[in-house]
Amino acid sequence: MTSSRWELPLVPAEAMALWCEALGDDNAIHVDPAAAEALGFGPRTVNPGPTNLAYLLNMVMEAQPDAWVRCVEAALLGNVLAGDGVTAQGTWDEYGMICDAELALETGHVVLKARIEIENGRDVDGDGEGIRSQRL
Amino acid sequence: MDATDNPIGKAIGGAACTAQGFVIPPGAFHLSASLDDAIRRSCAAPLRDGEQAHPIFAFIAALGGMGSRVGDVCRGLGLAFDSGAVLGRCRIDYDAPLTVDTRYDVATSVVALERKSSRRFGAADHLTLGMSISAAGDVRARVRLTTIMPAPA
Repeated sequence: MTSSRWELPLVPAEAMALWCEALGDDNAIHVDPAAAEALGFGPRTVNPGPTNLAYLLNMVMEAQPDAWVRCVEAALLGNVLAGDGVTAQGTWDEYGMICDAELALETGHVVLKARIEIENGRDVDGDGEGIRSQRL
Repeated sequence: MDATDNPIGKAIGGAACTAQGFVIPPGAFHLSASLDDAIRRSCAAPLRDGEQAHPIFAFIAALGGMGSRVGDVCRGLGLAFDSGAVLGRCRIDYDAPLTVDTRYDVATSVVALERKSSRRFGAADHLTLGMSISAAGDVRARVRLTTIMPAPA
């Protein structure tokens, strides 16, 4: 069983507008600090949830660059605000196919948990059964 | 289709408001290489190698390509989207990697609408949408996401 780690020291406020446009998300808490504050999030904009999930996927992509993601199941537990630093950490199963991942703030508060399953395109022993059979 | 075949009708018993008959029009999402590049830059992702888009695009295509904005769906159902809606849960099943410079068709339906007790809001509405993302008639990803918002007073 191995682990992976990925960090972003500062979540940029200016990126949130791009995500909102791509997502068709008109929730003002992502682009207007005053709107975020009025709804109790404090005076910083709130990172869109899919962006937080992308951080976990970045960690998986860096750890397994030849693989593609087959399934993601995620629970969003808290908010990441503009200017926060975040750390993604993941623990892989013995086959390197399933990663239990979480995203935490600098305080250690976990804001996102996910199980990410991948498929590795490599067919190590050429028998068509893929890397899983090679590692059993 | 009769009532027993209707996933909306089966899923929303006891909901704050009914989603029966609520239709979300189909939509489309064009996943361009330039958008993949921009999204990757914005979240410090590895650079693209080949045609494979960042896997978060299943989520982006689902929401960005649905025939209505998620906020409008919530408002149309009488939900308090503007009172602080947050994403609660999601599941994405990929049938194939998504690729850049591809047009995806997005079909969306209401899977469930439930009112639950909430530590933060007192009572909250949980709206679960299911999206199917297809290219050239083949399903490439299936997305299910739950948005949580305070129940209207």
